[in-house]
Amino acid sequence: MKKEIKRIILILTALCMTFISLIVYISYFQIFEASAVKNNSYNKRLWINEQAILRGSILDRNGKILAYSEKDGNSFERHYEYGNLYSHLIGYSYRDYGKSGLELHYNNALLNINENTAINEIKNIVMPNVEGNNLGLSIDHNLQSKARALIDGKKGSIVVMNPTTGEIYAMVSYPDFDSANLKDNWKKISEDMDSPLVNRAIQGLYAPGSTFKLITALAALGSGDNEEIYNCLGSEKVEGYIFQDYEGRAHGPIDLKAALVKSCNSYFINKSLEVGRDKISNMAENFLFNQNIPFDLPVRVSQFPHREMASDLELAAASIGQGKVLVTPLNMALVASAIANEGQIMKPILVKEIISKDGKLLKAKRPEVLSQAIDPIKAEEIKDMMVEVVQSGTGVNARIKNIKVAGKTGTAELSSGKNHAWFIGFAPADSPTVSVAVVLEEDKSTGGKSAAPIAREIMLYAIRNIKE
Amino acid sequence: MLKGEIKKQSPKNLLLVFQILALSLLLSYQGRIADKRILTMVIGLILIIYLSNYLLTKISSGDNYIFLIVTMLISIGIIIIYRIDEGLGIKQLTWISLGIFLYFSVYFIVKKLKGLDRWLYLYIGLAYFLFMITFIFGNRKFGAINWVDFGGFAFQPGEIIKILLIFILAAYYSNIESWGKIKYSSYYMMALIYSFIMLLFLQKDLGTALVFYLIFAAIQFIYEEDRKLILYNIGLFLISASMGYLLFDHVKIRFQAWLNPWIYIERQGYQITQSLFAIAEGGFFGKGLGMGHPEFVPVVYTDFIFSAICEEMGIFTGIGIIMLFMIFVYRGFKIAISQVNRFYRILALGISILFGIQSFIILGGVLKMIPLTGLTLPFISYGGSSILSSFIALAVLQVCSEDMGEDVDEEGN
Amino acid sequence: MYSILALIFKYIFIIVIYLFIFSIIRLIYLDIRSMDVISFEDSAYLKLINRKDSLPYKIEEHYLIDGEIKLGRHSGNDIVIKDQYISKNHFQIVEDEGDYYLEDLDSVNGTFLNGDKLFDIVRLEDGDIIRVGKIEFLFVNRE
Repeated sequence: MKKEIKRIILILTALCMTFISLIVYISYFQIFEASAVKNNSYNKRLWINEQAILRGSILDRNGKILAYSEKDGNSFERHYEYGNLYSHLIGYSYRDYGKSGLELHYNNALLNINENTAINEIKNIVMPNVEGNNLGLSIDHNLQSKARALIDGKKGSIVVMNPTTGEIYAMVSYPDFDSANLKDNWKKISEDMDSPLVNRAIQGLYAPGSTFKLITALAALGSGDNEEIYNCLGSEKVEGYIFQDYEGRAHGPIDLKAALVKSCNSYFINKSLEVGRDKISNMAENFLFNQNIPFDLPVRVSQFPHREMASDLELAAASIGQGKVLVTPLNMALVASAIANEGQIMKPILVKEIISKDGKLLKAKRPEVLSQAIDPIKAEEIKDMMVEVVQSGTGVNARIKNIKVAGKTGTAELSSGKNHAWFIGFAPADSPTVSVAVVLEEDKSTGGKSAAPIAREIMLYAIRNIKE
Repeated sequence: MLKGEIKKQSPKNLLLVFQILALSLLLSYQGRIADKRILTMVIGLILIIYLSNYLLTKISSGDNYIFLIVTMLISIGIIIIYRIDEGLGIKQLTWISLGIFLYFSVYFIVKKLKGLDRWLYLYIGLAYFLFMITFIFGNRKFGAINWVDFGGFAFQPGEIIKILLIFILAAYYSNIESWGKIKYSSYYMMALIYSFIMLLFLQKDLGTALVFYLIFAAIQFIYEEDRKLILYNIGLFLISASMGYLLFDHVKIRFQAWLNPWIYIERQGYQITQSLFAIAEGGFFGKGLGMGHPEFVPVVYTDFIFSAICEEMGIFTGIGIIMLFMIFVYRGFKIAISQVNRFYRILALGISILFGIQSFIILGGVLKMIPLTGLTLPFISYGGSSILSSFIALAVLQVCSEDMGEDVDEEGN
Repeated sequence: MYSILALIFKYIFIIVIYLFIFSIIRLIYLDIRSMDVISFEDSAYLKLINRKDSLPYKIEEHYLIDGEIKLGRHSGNDIVIKDQYISKNHFQIVEDEGDYYLEDLDSVNGTFLNGDKLFDIVRLEDGDIIRVGKIEFLFVNRE
């Protein structure tokens, strides 16, 4: 009967293996997935804790209160002073609608909930927690308001930051919603086709259009002869497809700088084929494409799908920021910041400080270098070109009297006939204190016409009013 | 203190320590002043368990460990149920006491009865009879029609049929020499089992159907001479599973909810996500008895009892429970291998596989390792039918662990 | 107050549960060892004839003779019996070319083989009964 015994043992082993796999799975779950799972607004336990704790306030960089909680009988009521303005950044925290934005991602800090260690547990029993911590943001409230006013009801996003520290001065996404009055408008908000709940600055993916030429140009700067003159005839044919310059205009003989200044498509398309896919994709990845950008809120990954760009046609389209290239406005702001900051990308910061209710500074974020995208020499070179763009090229609408502004326009064509109007830039060019990315979604005009003036106003305001 | 007298590392006494500690903790929970009745019942249970374990070693020459393991499991179960709801805790207490009484009764009955392996037709008849009752009188509870109400007293015939299934398989395969003389007998047997599964499927009791199938598949794998049938079995299963998925919405829903419950978090995914929250909140050591929120977990008394245990007593306790089941199944198999009499050997195998598979399926479902099914965790979940049938099965297993002599087959094994 | 209790108890519960599990595993393991030894080995062993429960000290039901085996009160022996009638080193069984030989080690109360007191070294046969004090062993040699 040995066969029988063998089979029995086989079944036993199989059963034991399944039990062991259970043990492994549950351990894996607890170690790796538990904290992410817990932080879900459907987890009612989050709310139970909250009822006993005074949720922390959220302030701008100058101490202006943007959100706070007040005792209302037995529980607390949350107040949003400027509902629409911070609907994406601060988000909301309601029992019925859950949490979003910083209210979600900094929930533990706002409630002063610490890790589940034994020591903390004992602490919690002996000295129960009743007050949360305040968040100090890097946002400048006046700039934020101004930016929202400037976008003037158009769909799109504006990101303003300090290129040397990474602090975000303003982040606007439109359309927005009134986080202070969710109850009345929830149905309308959640069903709105324009997705007002989405923070376009970090979750919106757009074709960057000509702003991507900066990256193509930087890839070209490392190789080959850039003094070489190319004769622009107003269009360039690749694999049977004809790429046209803006309004079919032929720019004549131009070099790299002139091509950037006039935003000549043909030049860059021709150049991209010469430089090659790998160099351009490497440069894109230097600027954080295809990677997670660490930030206080979740940021969608910008895409430069080089594996899918097998053909020249795809590469050509990508080199002028069309085709499969997609980018978040924050990422483009980081591109501008890197060039402004001698090639160094600083980690973007939204929450500057965490302060306990009795004024103790619990955590302060120091500026942190994310990566060195390009060396300072290249940064300087491209910066010069960007200054010329604003001085005499497509970006003249961003000119500020007595201040040298560097920038690049972009007009990403959509199949619907409309465009995404882009402008990214920084100022003052020699020692920049502010960088900006503006994108207007499905606009009828160009980056130079619609986005550049907005960027101008913002940079001017920031330089005049914001102290580091 | 008494530590010197308590034999160190004696599991019986550890169990006692555990029960006393847990109960005393619970009694001070939220100032629940235990009235005399409850106190006496609780002390009564502790005594019953201690005595049963002791008694068993005296009267049974068989395995001592399986009952011991079971009593630890029911202790953990009862503690958490009592914590969640005092009333249900008391009810569970009564079921357990009944269960233990039933256990000893069935033990003696089955031990005395001879020739159990020759009542195949009886078992089959009883099974169909119970199925009929379910269909005629059955009520839908929690999505499956498997409850029958008899004026205030509800039970699940499915739980009994499970045990009958094992008897059927044991009766058939232990006498396969005589049954095998009927042509295609194994095919008939397979058709019979499939008819059971079909009926269960119609009752929407997918979990039990799966258990039936797996027990049959395992026994068939071990004992069926005609290996072709095993392949047919697997093939049929795959076909009917895919068909089931495509044709029946309720199967599809289960799968969707399993793969990504987060997007269906309000409807199909609600139960499993709440379960995951509870487990995640517990951490390794748990939040402490009475400090968690099992009230947020749906169906917490039966299917999701494990989640509540993990929340308040930690993953380590959860792993402990899994280990206890594993040891239990191992013991059951050991009993089977040592059993000379083939009928009792297959019985032991069937019961061990039953407990092993059922606990794995519900534990896996609750953890989102496999899709959720509406099964109970043996000995831990609340429920009269579940507890009673588990004790009946346990009693049969205990009988199988003894030397049943007789029936020595041709090879002298 | 309760919270602190719950906090302490949760650690205690886990410890107790695991002690329980490990004690069961240990007992099962010990069982296997003694069982395995008998079922699957083809060599000689001593089987206890007395009822194990009737003896007040720790004793096994089977002792495998692996080359040689010694019995006595002293803990260095293979079979340790804490009985005042047993000498520190009471007897030994030695295997030599397939045969087993029993020798009394100058014990105070003597070793008895099939009722007769042992004075010399004697070769053991399957079925012999060895008595020391009130303990009786059956010598089993399947070969």
